[in-house]
Amino acid sequence: MKLLAITSCPTGIAHTYMAAEALQLAAKAMGFEMKVETRGSVGVENELTLEDIKEANAIIIAADTNVDRERFQGLTIIDASVQEAIKDAKGLIEKAANSKKNTGSVYTEQPNKPTRTGPYKHLMNGVSHIIPLVAAGGLIIALSFVFGIEAFKEKGTLAAALMNIGGGAALALMVPILSGFIAYSIADRPGLVPGLVGGMLASQIGAGFLGGIISGFCAGYIALWIKNNVKLPKSLDGLKPVLIIPFFSTLIIGLLMVYVIGTPVKALMDFMTEALKGMSSVNAGFLGLILGAMMAFDMGGPINKVAYTFGVGLLASNVFEPMAAIMAAGMTPPLGLALATFIAKKKFTPEEQESGKVASIMGISFITEGAIPFAAADPVRVIPSLMVGSAIAGALSMVFNCALRAPHGGIFVLFIPNAVSNVGMYVVAIAAGTIVTAIMLSILKKDLTSDRTANM
Amino acid sequence: MNIQDLLSASRVKLNLESNTKGDVINELIDILYEDGKLSDKDRYREAVLRREEEFSTGIGMGIAIPHAKDISVKEAALTFGISKTGIDYKALDGTSAHLFFLIAVPDNSNDVHLKLLSYISRKLMHQEVRDRLMSAKTYDDVLAAFKD
Repeated sequence: MKLLAITSCPTGIAHTYMAAEALQLAAKAMGFEMKVETRGSVGVENELTLEDIKEANAIIIAADTNVDRERFQGLTIIDASVQEAIKDAKGLIEKAANSKKNTGSVYTEQPNKPTRTGPYKHLMNGVSHIIPLVAAGGLIIALSFVFGIEAFKEKGTLAAALMNIGGGAALALMVPILSGFIAYSIADRPGLVPGLVGGMLASQIGAGFLGGIISGFCAGYIALWIKNNVKLPKSLDGLKPVLIIPFFSTLIIGLLMVYVIGTPVKALMDFMTEALKGMSSVNAGFLGLILGAMMAFDMGGPINKVAYTFGVGLLASNVFEPMAAIMAAGMTPPLGLALATFIAKKKFTPEEQESGKVASIMGISFITEGAIPFAAADPVRVIPSLMVGSAIAGALSMVFNCALRAPHGGIFVLFIPNAVSNVGMYVVAIAAGTIVTAIMLSILKKDLTSDRTANM
Repeated sequence: MNIQDLLSASRVKLNLESNTKGDVINELIDILYEDGKLSDKDRYREAVLRREEEFSTGIGMGIAIPHAKDISVKEAALTFGISKTGIDYKALDGTSAHLFFLIAVPDNSNDVHLKLLSYISRKLMHQEVRDRLMSAKTYDDVLAAFKD
């Protein structure tokens, strides 16, 4: 029989390891196989895997810190302090050896949440850090619209300050933070700096959150490789974490982002801009469809930006219909997600369900970024759903001949006289896109129980 | 990085003079300070005492491991002392402590030091390591206790 334990103390320097060793020694003396995960200042070592947890009946948690117990549903948990483990390892092991699998109602009713592993775990580490950032930034921008959709353009006003806090600072940090914490998850602290810088560059070159995900993974693995493979003379060893790893990993990821990612992104944007210009004369509904899908593809990334810039550019030539399609398509991703978290609760974690409420406010404010945490967590299923809904919203808006004279503002524009023509049908277009998005999501996304990629 | 670097001969005292918990902490900190590992002795002492208040680091089996992670520490360092008479360290198992490891870790210590400290911590759980430390006559005996 296999025994498991976790040891962890606040400073994480000595007790954690003493307790681990004491448990292992006692287990060995008693003839048991034991695996101990240590959580000290070096980080998590000898991590318990899903396999370990499946094989075991009980786990000893000898910790004076908070240890997440969720992954041990189904096991009997024996709680102890680290001192108890040091003092009476034998007693704890006897308890563990005599316990049965915990097959109480908790285990059968709630799905055994799989542990996050591999790249997915890294991705989620980034996503979970941007959720509150997006919520805070998005809501603060929405707040600025309360003063009128053009209010932020007046320098020195509160509206301008709100726009700067929400858009200029909070949302601007989103891609760097996403990238930084993906890299942090891969390489621990050495990953953070190249991850943040790579994300900042992804943002600067207009590669959006998809670029941020790429930079996060590249930066993390680069830092990890340097950490594990670059050997230095002992006298220089102290320089490794403060200078060598940050310098080289940042340099490499930086050059990669600028030349390997940045150049094609720019070429792609130029190409699509040209293609859109050629499309202006074709069927209006089809143009709306394409613009809509582009808006939802990367939400603030290069494709989205091409579509948006295209619409804004046309405003100067007094062509207002594509702008209407673009805004409708930019509103439906967060709105559709908000609706989906409501009608298909099973497919979203409690955390996502809460984010859904915030997303609805961002949706009505035309802050498409509200959908990013959902899209980043499960891109393969979420992005196509959003694209279909947005494409329909865009196409309908064009077909109904809706026109929009302002490049932003969301629902707030609707109350401004003459800003939107054919308001009634415009609302219909947005509503239709929202509903389609939500339906697509509830079809494509899997239940939390059956699929780990739907887990947060 | 090896044990000699973390625990140099200048920080090993095979015959501690103190008789109380407070005194022995001071005695160990003095050794550490004189060896140039601390930028602020008082600040470090406060950090150690704060840690002791949470719960005694007298972990039983005759061992005490006062420790602190603080910016007053210049470089990770161990200080080791033996008390032949034993000191009441308010240990978990009520026995008096003979082996004292004062652990000093800077706020931003690197993993190499921490890994080595975890290695030493693990070793202390072994009866034979403790026995060899108790009977250590020289610095080399102390080092040998940690090496198989």
